[in-house]
Amino acid sequence: MKTHVISSLAGAVALAVLLLPLTSSPVVAQGRGGRAAGPPAGPAPRLPNGTPDFSGVLMGGGGVSVRALKPGDTLTLLPEAKKLQDSRLAKDDPEANCLPTGVPRMNPYPWRMVQSIDGKYIFILFEGNIHSYRQIFLDGRKHLSDPDPTWYGHSIGHWEGDTLVVDTVGFNDKFWFGASGLPHTTKLHTVERFTRTDASTMSWDITIDDPGAYAKPFTVQTKARYEAGWELMEYICQENETSVEHIRGLANSPSANGAAPQ
Amino acid sequence: MKLTLAIMIGVAAVFCQAGQVFAHHSFSAEYDVNKVLVLKGVITKVEWTNPHVRFYVDVKDDKGVVTNWDLELMSLNTLTRAGWNKYDLKVGENVTVTAYLAVDGSKRANARGNITLADGRQVMAGDAGRTNQETQR
Repeated sequence: MKTHVISSLAGAVALAVLLLPLTSSPVVAQGRGGRAAGPPAGPAPRLPNGTPDFSGVLMGGGGVSVRALKPGDTLTLLPEAKKLQDSRLAKDDPEANCLPTGVPRMNPYPWRMVQSIDGKYIFILFEGNIHSYRQIFLDGRKHLSDPDPTWYGHSIGHWEGDTLVVDTVGFNDKFWFGASGLPHTTKLHTVERFTRTDASTMSWDITIDDPGAYAKPFTVQTKARYEAGWELMEYICQENETSVEHIRGLANSPSANGAAPQ
Repeated sequence: MKLTLAIMIGVAAVFCQAGQVFAHHSFSAEYDVNKVLVLKGVITKVEWTNPHVRFYVDVKDDKGVVTNWDLELMSLNTLTRAGWNKYDLKVGENVTVTAYLAVDGSKRANARGNITLADGRQVMAGDAGRTNQETQR
């Protein structure tokens, strides 16, 4: 049964990808990932049925940070969560160890949104960090009553006008919200609001509700950018990972979180 | 020169979106941004792979002692999108690299500064791209 489900899912993804050219703006097949050609221009495109067309390759967006907080919101860790964050070592960051980033952290690699023609699924395909995907059910189903905890949780979505609202529960507590080790618990519940405001921009607001780790819910406001002519490339993080054994220090420290030189 | 700088900044902007790190791990937990090396030597090996392209360089000091340095670049995918390809770094060629020393004292460094290739071309590795002329050669 499990095999059947997996093959069905793989088939659904494959079908959706095959059908993508029918539902999205033309892209240039380059096979090498494309160049920094810049964002597409114009208004947000729509599918023939009028639904906003989210398909395409994007960079950025997501993440949890104080600077992205919705005006008026605050990010306040509960004491135990703060203690956990301060104890984490940079070398233990799951992302550095080629594990998934969970929700809503993103890695510095492109990602693709894929809409099924029947409107029942949206998939987010990640180039990094482990070549994984999220699946969002838009067929009206409810959350599982007792889901097994997973890295990406159980996501159901619906449209509110031109905004896709994605509600996710059923997370594990293994991923970090960022390199500083911001934690969460299995009580995490996220509500994401995706709006393609023009051809090049995806507005992506995320509400974090985790009474196990934070004093109250808060919302971060982020944006991702559509990249014209880009394709996803293969990225196997484990292929030649030699960095982790050389990483030093606490996760939540300036030495571990300093920006790369520019 | 201005064109090179403009492209470097442009590509860096693409890969340095707000709130994101440049790699799949924290930079400063592995490399010291205040310890910049200039390494001059011969490329002994190139690993054109993810999650980081790596190349190794034999560097001879004043006393003739040779040390093999392990130099990290961005991911294969990031470099490809910035115009690099697997033929750019060649085993046996001379190279001069500006790099950031590993914090753990090992002979590793991050080669995100300038790289001067054997033919004299200067390219930015990691966070930046190169000129169209260089890309199309």
